[in-house]
Amino acid sequence: MKLPATCLLAALLLALPVGAATRDEDPSEAMVRQIAKDLRCAVCQNQSVYESNSDLAKDMLRVIRDKVREGQSEGVIRDYFHQRYGDYIYLEPTTGGMNRLLWLGPFVGLLAGGWALLAAMRKWRAKPPQTPGEAPPSAPDAAMQERIRRELEQVRM
Amino acid sequence: MSGAWKIILLGAVMAILGLFALGLDNDPRNIPSPLVNRPASDFTAPALHGGPPVQLSALRGKWVLVNFWGSWCVSCVAEHPYLVELAKKVKNRPDFVMIGVDFRDTPEAARDFLARHGNPGYPHAMDPEQKIAIDWGVYGAPESYLVDPNGTIRMKHTGPLFPGWFEARALPLMEGGKKP
Repeated sequence: MKLPATCLLAALLLALPVGAATRDEDPSEAMVRQIAKDLRCAVCQNQSVYESNSDLAKDMLRVIRDKVREGQSEGVIRDYFHQRYGDYIYLEPTTGGMNRLLWLGPFVGLLAGGWALLAAMRKWRAKPPQTPGEAPPSAPDAAMQERIRRELEQVRM
Repeated sequence: MSGAWKIILLGAVMAILGLFALGLDNDPRNIPSPLVNRPASDFTAPALHGGPPVQLSALRGKWVLVNFWGSWCVSCVAEHPYLVELAKKVKNRPDFVMIGVDFRDTPEAARDFLARHGNPGYPHAMDPEQKIAIDWGVYGAPESYLVDPNGTIRMKHTGPLFPGWFEARALPLMEGGKKP
């Protein structure tokens, strides 16, 4: 019982693709991939420079590779593309500048909505004791009772 | 209280509708270039027709129309007659020159394109790996930049230049630049 389990475990461990993708990879290539995965392929729909097969993406990848080889840092390379293509080049929108409004807007809206709901609920709760509203229903007077009786009789007919 | 809220709500709805209306005319592909009003990145590249390399900074002191194109680009065929016409028109202007950047292309295909559609006569820089194009934030072709005499990009035009573009878009900038 124990031996087969050990064998199975060993087989599974041997089959683990640990580091398979990066084993033969140049360390600088990992950085190229990291940068290219965050950059939008400018001519495709929602694909990164790393995933796209378009000519522009391939040439961008080459530019990134050249810059990494020159020893430029990730931030400098990201900035290089941002200065040329603007915010659009980042797959994940930046949180700076006017974009902050977009990021914070929903939370501000949620807070405002919550506050309004709280205020409204307080008002609803406070209402009954504060304002009597309409007078509680009282028994109709004799004339009214007579009228009701008559009309009910008409309906029965 | 409820009257005020109704007005605020109406105002908010109208504001959102207004924003939608403003956005209706926008072309989603027409992304504003952050390079406008920034110094143009200089380049020196082999000329398509041989001779000395094409260098942007050698043209300082003049307005330069930099036209990115390729023989593979369909819209460039539509744009080409106007480029030929414009080159003829501005030939004698001392303050305006045109250059082309032929990117992701082979010299043979580019020369063939010019032989078929007419050669406007201005120099073309060869950019086979589109290094210049990426350096200039180019998405596709044709795209054109207008660089002022100080070497600052003043305008980007995405897509084919339309007949009358020079008078409608370039001249106002060029004449406005002289005033100060």
